[in-house]
Amino acid sequence: MSAPILATKLYIPPPRQKIVPRPRLIERLDAVFNAGSRLTLISAPAGFGKTTLVSEWIAGCGRPAAWLSLEEGDNNLTRFLIYLIAALQTLALSKIGGIAANIGAGVLAMLQSPQLPSTESILATLLNEIATISDSFILVLDDYHVIDSQSIDHVLAFLVEHLPSQMHLVIASREDPPLPLARLRACGQLAELRAADLCFTPTEAADFLNQVMGLNLSAEDITALETRTEGWIAGLKLAAISMQGRSDPTRFIQSFTGSHRFVLDYLIEEVLGRQPENIQMFLLRTSILDRMCGSLCDAVLLDFPASGQETLEYLEHANLFVIPLDQERRWYRYHHLFSELLRLRFGQPQELSNLHLRASAWYEANDDLAEAFHHAFAAGDFERAVRLAEAAWQEMERNFQTVAWIGWVKKLPDAVVCSQPSLCVLLGRAFSDVGELGSSETYLQSAERALADKKDQEQSSPLSGTIALIRASNAQNEGDLAETVKYAELSIQLIPENDVYLRAQAAITLGFTHWATGNLEASLRAMHTWVEDMQRLGNQEFAIASAFAVADMQVILGRLSDAEKSLRQAIQQAAMHIPEAESITAHHHLGLAMLAHERGNDAAAAQYLQTAADLGQRTTLVDWLYRWNLAQARLKESDREWDSALDLLDVAGRAYVKNPIPILRPVEALKTRVYLKQGRLDKAQAWVRARGISTEVEVRYLDEYDHLTLARVRMAEGSFAGVSGLLERLLALAETQKRSGSVIEILLTQALVYQAQNDWPRALTALERALALTEPEGYLRTFVDEGEAMRLMLVDFKSMNEKQATHLLRDYVDKILAAFSQPVEAISKSTIANQESEMIEPLTNRELEILRLIAEGQSNAEISQRLYLALSTVKGHNLRIFNKLQAQNRTEAVVRAQELGLL
Amino acid sequence: METPPPIYEIRLAGHLSPQWVDWFEGLTVSLEEDGDTLLTGPVADQAALHGLIKKIRDLGMILVSINRVQFNESHPNRSNKEKK
Repeated sequence: MSAPILATKLYIPPPRQKIVPRPRLIERLDAVFNAGSRLTLISAPAGFGKTTLVSEWIAGCGRPAAWLSLEEGDNNLTRFLIYLIAALQTLALSKIGGIAANIGAGVLAMLQSPQLPSTESILATLLNEIATISDSFILVLDDYHVIDSQSIDHVLAFLVEHLPSQMHLVIASREDPPLPLARLRACGQLAELRAADLCFTPTEAADFLNQVMGLNLSAEDITALETRTEGWIAGLKLAAISMQGRSDPTRFIQSFTGSHRFVLDYLIEEVLGRQPENIQMFLLRTSILDRMCGSLCDAVLLDFPASGQETLEYLEHANLFVIPLDQERRWYRYHHLFSELLRLRFGQPQELSNLHLRASAWYEANDDLAEAFHHAFAAGDFERAVRLAEAAWQEMERNFQTVAWIGWVKKLPDAVVCSQPSLCVLLGRAFSDVGELGSSETYLQSAERALADKKDQEQSSPLSGTIALIRASNAQNEGDLAETVKYAELSIQLIPENDVYLRAQAAITLGFTHWATGNLEASLRAMHTWVEDMQRLGNQEFAIASAFAVADMQVILGRLSDAEKSLRQAIQQAAMHIPEAESITAHHHLGLAMLAHERGNDAAAAQYLQTAADLGQRTTLVDWLYRWNLAQARLKESDREWDSALDLLDVAGRAYVKNPIPILRPVEALKTRVYLKQGRLDKAQAWVRARGISTEVEVRYLDEYDHLTLARVRMAEGSFAGVSGLLERLLALAETQKRSGSVIEILLTQALVYQAQNDWPRALTALERALALTEPEGYLRTFVDEGEAMRLMLVDFKSMNEKQATHLLRDYVDKILAAFSQPVEAISKSTIANQESEMIEPLTNRELEILRLIAEGQSNAEISQRLYLALSTVKGHNLRIFNKLQAQNRTEAVVRAQELGLL
Repeated sequence: METPPPIYEIRLAGHLSPQWVDWFEGLTVSLEEDGDTLLTGPVADQAALHGLIKKIRDLGMILVSINRVQFNESHPNRSNKEKK
């Protein structure tokens, strides 16, 4: 009900039939349009014929046009943009070039996110979409004065500043919109018609009164009327209507001009008074409606001699300010002034209330809960309004209209709201969804108080379960794990069996909490339950989308193949079940890319990345930018492009949107690792101080990455106190929770730490344990990205086990070592290009090995010992290396190698 | 002690008939000889004032002027100080 677009708002009013042609105004509009100004402003009070003029101009201008009639309800940014897009989409019907029927789909997708992307990015996307239109077109925004929202004003200002060349914007309003009009005028970019322009000239007035309205007035009479009304079209029109059929128009005119009364006030009485009584009643009663159709009028009027439809058509023919809103003559509305004046005349509040109730009932029966609510509220029937609000909740929440819903409910008096436990619970949920946790808790407490008052035992349990669940969700958003678990478990106890949806919510809350505490197997189980529940509920999208979280968990458990499988399955299911929403698999493709990267399948990784990037442009997933930039940073790190990596991490940090997935690798820790690789120990140490961590703490999963980073900082400092103990404790926890992925990381860190302390036996033991875990899953990058220190360890490991190592591990280690020397394909094309173009013969693996040791400052003797080579062999290699690099000595060789990106 | 709301005098072109009184709730409607209408009365705050102006706009009436009228002899601040 909230989702469907009201076609009536997009309906281009056809030119009215009985009107005064206004060539001078049309010519002015044509002239400025042809001169290239692309913004036209029609700013005049009500009743100056703005809409009539614009529709006449549109009809004759020979260009495709789109129309949006604005109303108060459009004061919500999302809704405004949705309607703007809908208006643009109507252009597709007019065979305009370059426009797809689903233009604006990208923006619509962005608007579906629970948390809106920045207005700038939405607008940029919108402008890009408009830029694809090849023919020029006009967009009319009618009644812009109803817009009271700063964010929408901002959108309009932005649009005006960056108006695409094919777009001409017409704004009709009763007041000047908040745009830099003075500047636009000065630059000649604004075409304007104001009240003074729109008034009827005496000639036009004469034409209107005598020709169009068929009166036969003398020149004096016409002048008198024109003076009295000051050319105000609405005034002249009402005057004309009241004079039709009068035998003595002059007397009327004399009374009229002799009175001081406000023009409309005087005339409306005349006009109404001369209508048959039943028409008067019709007009009065239907004035409460914003828009009317035959059957709605029938419902509101109850016993009325004629049918609503007939009466509306009669009014249209009689030119009594009724305006059709569609081609089929189904919906109408009154001219604003007319309905305002009619509403004024409503004496009895009780009758008014009854009318609103009837309208509310009709709208409810016709599935328009929004209107039904507003009329119930206007009728003062708050109980009914509450019921309607509760009924509308689910659909509005699913359509991401939570904020609008809250707006409705806040209109109701506090006392009413607080006495309704289920409404309060919904409010608690709504505020929780939009991140206002304080308000959420307030309403949950109101709900509990109301429940206690009601003492209705039967009713209370389901709501209590929901209340606990909302509290769990709030606690989770605040990062309070203990409270989250407490409430999640409580909610599972209280939620009835048959409430699949709610139970699924509880399960997933618990699932995320288990994740945060490192209990990943429990978390996976909860996720699987949740996915099944979602599928039972027919919610394929959620089920498929969640696969990326499942894959994340599997990676932590060290199960790379399982993770790959999960992602592939989900992508397949998406193609089968929801091909129109395939952009949700952006995360999945990214995940596959990173898995391929880990395993050294760079070509595959590049391909997945491309797909992910394409899908990511259209995705609705709220944390896309965060994850994408993190991945990019990781890739840059593998390429040793430290500064780029840092920039990307910053972008990721800024793009982060709070969500239930626990942050296991904080951006600051990630940056610290890059600082260490750059040798910027001071920055790394600054992080340690800022973070306030030490080696002497209880370990917990959420802090694991920070602690491992701390270990590396200490290693770089050369201060090893407490580090081993910390790593042992982390290892114990990871092993207990069977998190192989973590175990691998910790073991490798241990190995490096031992190596740095020259404790080779322990280092190699740790390394061997890690290799045993990584081999079955094909880990590669984890080793390579550690750089030279790791490479040396692997070389040592290989030599030590030359005689006895298991066949599998040896091949595996060789593969890893080979990867150290390979430039990363595809991801870093520039490196390859350099190397190929500037070296006739590339260095062999052995030569690279030696070069690296040279870069470290090792002497030939040291190198020969290291690599178990004869000294002469090493010198021979050196010669060849210098030749290939066209270097004279070690220093030059190192510099050249660095330039070529080899080091 | 709450300061009473300020009194405003809003001048419109053209006379309004009595039924408008309900619509401009709380304001006194007086018809001037020069053909203007004066609406006088308390307006709670700025938001209420802007709401009124909007109503006037939406009815197509001509807004001539808005004035805030001094209603207290003593300045509100002064009276608070005296209480201390």
